[in-house]
This record gives sequence, structure tokens and C-alpha cells, in this order.
Amino acid sequence: MYVIVVYDTAAKRNPKILRTCRKYLHHVQRSVFEGQLTEAQLRRFQATVEEVLDLTYDNVLVYTFPPGTTPIRHEWGATEPTPTDVL
Amino acid sequence: MPTAARTYWLTSPCRIRRKDESLVIEREAAPKVHIPITDVRDIIACAETDINTAVVSLLNRHRISVHLLSYYGDYAGSLVTSDTSTSGQTVLAQANLAQQPSASMAIARSLVDACAFNVRRVVDRQLLTAPYTTLQASIKEAETPLHLMGAEGTFRRSAWEVIDTKLPDWLQLHGRSRRPPRNAGNAFISYVNGIIYARVLSAVRLTPLHSGIAFLHSSLERQRHSLVLDLAEMFKPLFAERLLLRMASRKQLKKHHFDTGTNQAMLSEAGRKLVVQTVRDELATSVNHRSLGRPVAYDELIYLDALALTRHCLEGTRYKPFRIWW
Repeated sequence: MYVIVVYDTAAKRNPKILRTCRKYLHHVQRSVFEGQLTEAQLRRFQATVEEVLDLTYDNVLVYTFPPGTTPIRHEWGATEPTPTDVL
Repeated sequence: MPTAARTYWLTSPCRIRRKDESLVIEREAAPKVHIPITDVRDIIACAETDINTAVVSLLNRHRISVHLLSYYGDYAGSLVTSDTSTSGQTVLAQANLAQQPSASMAIARSLVDACAFNVRRVVDRQLLTAPYTTLQASIKEAETPLHLMGAEGTFRRSAWEVIDTKLPDWLQLHGRSRRPPRNAGNAFISYVNGIIYARVLSAVRLTPLHSGIAFLHSSLERQRHSLVLDLAEMFKPLFAERLLLRMASRKQLKKHHFDTGTNQAMLSEAGRKLVVQTVRDELATSVNHRSLGRPVAYDELIYLDALALTRHCLEGTRYKPFRIWW
């Protein structure tokens, strides 16, 4: 399923969550990640996030889309390039 | 096949690095890109690629193979992960089948027939009817794989000539030439064939079959994956010939997509990118599968064919090589 992850964490824990996200998803903006994950991968991702963050202070949002669908994306301004598989 | 992961195609010179247990692609011209390791099924490197031990161990842990195409676009080799899916029982059954002359010749015959059927289907049914009938007759008479390959060669020659009549002058093949390809058309065919070889290798490695024990090509010779050569045979026309004819008639291929020298040609960087994108989209195209009753992507057809061969080895279900049915 298609997943968008947004996080808001304390500065000292930023690198940790960034590293975790990079293993699973494409970096599209400073604290925004998106990509295709399976249910199992999402659960694994969630478990890792719970380990590295202090959930009494940090906040992570995960938007999931029904299988087989991808959200339509509109971009303005200088953005990171759209994730592609032809490099 | 895992559905979430994708194949990554590298079309410009780059270095693959490991960073934070994931991958970074560093390129000269463009900024570096982070790739989530869980999103990679395999990597096809169509341009110079640097890779180091740290990356290889990470790739191995995630069961990701890297297929490398050479400067001229032929298949140069692969970094394949250590075998996980081969099963002793299947490999023995496969070897046993390959050793029985009658059984292995039956498979080899059907492979050649299916390949020619597909070529005729994509190129021209009318003009290739006569050569195809001749081929079918010589397939019946053939006693060794060598005879079969000879007969196939004859059929292929007539097919190349028919293809030439449908191409603009500058793309014409004038007979197949490889290593290096003589002209633009041949460069295109070689390039796509290299990619298809890599895809078939990936598919075969998902099944318990041994990639070296073949039925038509000689087994384990010159360190090639002979079984992959066997299976790639039927899929080459579906991509190489078909896309060449299509892209030529749509005038998508331009002269600047090729670097042509004296008596040799290769795809330029722009051409490489165009071809890779076209093949990638084509692999994702799906058709309705009759017996499965659901749409199946061309990429998956390759896997299904390898599975059918596995079943033939283990259970004796008759293996019918892939034919274009639509």
C-alpha cells in the first residue's frame, strides 16, 4: 500500500528517525517520506519507530492509501525530485 | 514475486554506496539519491557502476541481485545473492531430465517451436508462414540440439529480412551482428536482449531450478546460465523485435539515440534512457491470463514460465513454453 509518513521530533532524535525512514521510504521533503510498503514492512517500520523515539514528546503521522491506489501529487516550488526507478 | 519492491534501472554512470543500512546512488551529473533498501527487488545497471564490499553484503542480506550490462550493451554479468531457493530434489530431477535424450529433446523442440511462433506473431504472420512450416518440419527431423539451433538460425534469417522491409533505411539490420553490433538496429536488439536475459535470470532464481542445466543450449558451458538462455529465447521477440518495430513506426527512435562509428554502433546515453523506460513500461503491461483468470504483467509471465518448467521436472506436468496468445 502507498504510505506517507510525516514526523515532528525533538532535534536530537531527528537523525535516528531520518535513518529509519530512509530504509523504507523515499525522502520527499525535510520531514516527509512516501513510498510503497507491505503490511509487514509497515509493522516493522512502526516497531522500529517506537524504539528510537520518545513517544511522550515526538509525533509521527502515517497516512496509508487503499491497496492498488496512489495519491495524486501536485508540486510547487523547488522540491526534491519525484522518486523514480530509472536513475 | 514480492509486489511492493521494484526493479531499479541505472542509466548513467554512478557509484552505489551504503549509508544507514540503505542505499545511496551517487551520480556525476545529478544529485545523489537515497533509495530505501526495502523498495529494491533487483538492480539493472546499464552504465558504468562502482560497487564495494559494504554494499554487496547489504544487498546479499536483502536478497537483491545486480545485473550489469557492458559498455556496448550486452550482458556483462551479475552479482547474484547466495542461493536460497534451489532445492536439491528439483535440481536432481532437472538434471535427470536433461540427461534423458528423448525427454530433453522434447523440451528443446517445444522451445524452438514456441520461439519461432512468437517471432512470426510479432513480425509478420503472412510472410513468415512458409519459413515457419519449413522450420516445423525440420524440428521433427532434428536429432540433436545442434540441428535444432541450425534450423532456428535459418528461420531467424528469413525473419530478420522481413523485419528490414518494415524499418527505415538507417535502422535496418542487414543480418544480425553482435559484439559489437554493426548498426543501430542491431545495437537496439542486443541491448533489449541483454535486459531480457537479466530479467529471466532474476525469475529463474526465484524458482528452485538450477540456472546452469539447460535443454536446448549446452549445460554449464563457458560459465553461462544456460537455462536462462533457453527460457529467454521465447521472450526476446516479445520485447526486442516487437519494440524495435513499434518504436520505428512511431518514429520514437531518432538518430541521436545512437552513437554510430565505423562498422559498429551503440545506444547513446539519451537512447539508453529511452529504451530502458520503454522496456520497463512494457514489463509492467499486463494481459489477462486464461487459466489464472487474472491480469498478469509481462514480467510475471517470465516467472510463470520458469515455474511451469519446475513443475515439469518435479511432477511431470507437460511443459508448454510461452506463446503469445493475444
